Amino acid sequence: MELNVEQIGDVTVVVLPGESLDASNAAEFKQAIATVLEKHAKVVFDMSQLRFVDSSGLGAILSCLRQLNARGGDLKLCGMTKPVRALFELVRMHRIFDIYNTRDEAIGAFQLAA
Amino acid sequence: MKAIILAAGKGTRVRPLTYTMPKPMIPIINKPVMEILVEHLARHGVREIMVNTSYLAPAIENYFRDGARFGVQMAYSFEGRWEDGRLIDEPVGSAGAIKKIQEHSGFFDETFFVLCGDALIDLNLTELLHVHRRKRALVTIALTEVPRSEVSSYGVVVTDDDGRILEFQEKPPVEEARSTTVNTGIYVFEPEVIDGIPSGVEYDIGGELFPALTATGAAMYGAKIPFQWLDIGKITDYYRVIQMALRGEVHGLAMPGTQVTEGVWMGLNVRADLNRCHIVPPIYIGGSATLEPGCTLIGPSFIGPGCVIESGAHIEKSIVFDYTRIGSAAHLCEMMVCGGYCVDASGTVIDLARTDIDWVIADARTPKKPLSEEQRQFLTMLEQWSGRIPAQL
Repeated sequence: MELNVEQIGDVTVVVLPGESLDASNAAEFKQAIATVLEKHAKVVFDMSQLRFVDSSGLGAILSCLRQLNARGGDLKLCGMTKPVRALFELVRMHRIFDIYNTRDEAIGAFQLAA
Repeated sequence: MKAIILAAGKGTRVRPLTYTMPKPMIPIINKPVMEILVEHLARHGVREIMVNTSYLAPAIENYFRDGARFGVQMAYSFEGRWEDGRLIDEPVGSAGAIKKIQEHSGFFDETFFVLCGDALIDLNLTELLHVHRRKRALVTIALTEVPRSEVSSYGVVVTDDDGRILEFQEKPPVEEARSTTVNTGIYVFEPEVIDGIPSGVEYDIGGELFPALTATGAAMYGAKIPFQWLDIGKITDYYRVIQMALRGEVHGLAMPGTQVTEGVWMGLNVRADLNRCHIVPPIYIGGSATLEPGCTLIGPSFIGPGCVIESGAHIEKSIVFDYTRIGSAAHLCEMMVCGGYCVDASGTVIDLARTDIDWVIADARTPKKPLSEEQRQFLTMLEQWSGRIPAQL
């Protein structure tokens, strides 16, 4: 899985690829994102392309947060489509993640916190 | 007095509810919307009701049967055929439905009402009939006003000062609408109207019959009698209507069950210790449901019969259909859970089977499955990160 990674100051923005993050590609995503999470502490996932996430996809995103937090880093999410946002709320993940409407807002939140 | 209820539609805009039930059977706090209509017709002296059916016809026909338990006589005109062990829908349109019944038996031999089977109304039908007779009309349409921004969802009607209908505009763009008065789908017809419906073809009342009658100068009148018209045209309308019903704002609809405390109604055989749940009325809890201690219900919310609400689950301004298990991790806010789908108040749909979250929402009749290792890890992370002590692991 090829990830579109962009560095903006000290914030790393990753565009989650494809329309789905589910059982078919969650393991592949975890593998691809591992190097990003190892090298960077302030990470934003741009989720604007994602239309569907299942249980495995939710687990993959949550494990990214866990890895970053364990190393003192943080993960923020932006650009969530309505179906994905609805699922996040349904399983309470909206209370765990910082979720922003736009990429700029997510990046700005890191800068404010600094 | 006679009537026809139009009940053949597929209700595509009310999916996913209508994947498993025809639109007239959509429940308004346990009672199908069409049952409320039948009771209303009976209150206004209607004793013989024909219903045209097609999509999921048996659900309607098996529920209402001959109408005796509603104090009326009912029969059905099925539009379709039986082939290879299943029913094939072949709807003939709203006007075509009336023609088909008339050609079968000449049933419509006096003034009759025509109603859509999917709207909640408290219209004084007796008064509508008086208007119809006073005007010596061929057709009288119950009209209502809507905000200009909404006209493109309706059939717009233009009348003169005497109420005579001059023009119809079927779902016009806002800028082209010539009035904000709309057709509610409630009519009084004289039998002669049926002569203008072509035989053996699909034909619609609003889109074809009425414009044709207007062109011939037929005596068509509109009646603006104030009434509550709750059209369940879209899935989001359904959410709004149930919220209103729970707040006691739907005219003539009494809450079923027993009011156990202010604003909390229950069916029979509910297992719940309300002192150990966080409850904010108004709430309806259907028969044989289970509320585990530690769950939260914030109204207006409807919990269908046979549901299980686990400890820790949060349900707020939501509608949960029959036999649903809501797991401890679930957070439902302005949601409807029905038939394997979750729909939020804006119409966004989550397919629960595809999402593979049966540890959050499942059928309550399915034995609870042990969590997979992946699900267990996920829930553990969720609980740790949200700062709660795992309750069910």
